[in-house]
Amino acid sequence: ALVLVFSPLPRLRGLLQRCWGRLERGLLPGFSGGQSPPWGPALAVQAPAFLPEPVRDTTESKEVPSLLDSILWMAAPKKRRTIEVNRCRRRNPNKLIKVKRNIDVCPECGNLKQKHVLCGYCYAKVKAETRLIRMEMHKKEGGPFNAPTVETVVLYDGEKPTEKDEGKRIIERARKRPSWFVQN
Amino acid sequence: TCCFLAGGAWACRLLGWARPERWLASGSVFPLSCIHTSTSLQKSGKWEKKNWVVYPPQLPGEPRRPAEIYHCRREIKYSKDKMWYLAKLIKGMSIDQALAQLEFSDKKGAKVIKEVLLEAQEMAVRNHNVEFKSNLHIAESLTGRGRYVKRIRYHGKGMFGIMKIVRCHYFVKLVEGPPPPPEPPTTGFDQAKEYVQQLRSRTLVNTL
Repeated sequence: ALVLVFSPLPRLRGLLQRCWGRLERGLLPGFSGGQSPPWGPALAVQAPAFLPEPVRDTTESKEVPSLLDSILWMAAPKKRRTIEVNRCRRRNPNKLIKVKRNIDVCPECGNLKQKHVLCGYCYAKVKAETRLIRMEMHKKEGGPFNAPTVETVVLYDGEKPTEKDEGKRIIERARKRPSWFVQN
Repeated sequence: TCCFLAGGAWACRLLGWARPERWLASGSVFPLSCIHTSTSLQKSGKWEKKNWVVYPPQLPGEPRRPAEIYHCRREIKYSKDKMWYLAKLIKGMSIDQALAQLEFSDKKGAKVIKEVLLEAQEMAVRNHNVEFKSNLHIAESLTGRGRYVKRIRYHGKGMFGIMKIVRCHYFVKLVEGPPPPPEPPTTGFDQAKEYVQQLRSRTLVNTL
């Protein structure tokens, strides 16, 4: 806390006494005479900044309410929502998660699948194998924009290209043919 | 006159290290012992202790007591209210049906609950003498509030808000046996009958 030492200088004391007198009478110390202070109402009120005029021209149309007016009348909650009301809303049956009735068993792998969606496990299996085939293709091509204009045939261990695969590009994969990849 | 808080809470706040309830012998009664005292990071919850309950051996004539397995996961980074919807979904289902529903749910908590259920199933078969892993159903599934942490969220124009990093616990109790049949919803007629029964069973209190 600051400690003020009052220095008993006569001029300073006189000035301070005059200032205090002015403040008590409700005037600024800087004012020279009995003039009304320039400031407006000291209290911030929920009302338009200007006072509405009681007498208006009937011919004058109603003014569009300014932005300042519309801000002050916004929607706000009147009362706190009790936990009972909150629970009724949160636990309403339309908000609860519905039980899914479209889950089946995949006939291939035995995992669960949705009826209108591919089995996730089988799809992941095929995706992994496709990724390896594409890696082989990249190695054969050697760079971007080298895709050949002919078809591609994937051959696994112990398979020979038939006379149907005459002009096609052959990709070798060093493993047994998977059961789901049917050869033409 | 100085105002005192409840004696135990006052001790907790001023001298965090000194625990007067620990100084007394276990037999003596402390007047204000109903306070949370453990502030350690690893407090062993009551749900985990429920697995250690040992019943006396059953007599030959009694029906077989179904095995109960309690499992939980603590401090999951998810909201307890959002997790509650998943817990409400699987309440009362068989474990296979619950796993199916959770697998195809889009929620973040579904993955966590699925892991918890699989762990609990594994525990049941290994430690709790459950014969068939499909012969389990979910008797209780609850969520609880974890530890919240407050952080500052920066907005524009130098404004800031305080956000809560929200975590939850998830508790599940598996019981051996097929799931109980769902009780039919009470009709209006049943409710009226119950009301009339309530009115009829009223008596005069404090009289002969």
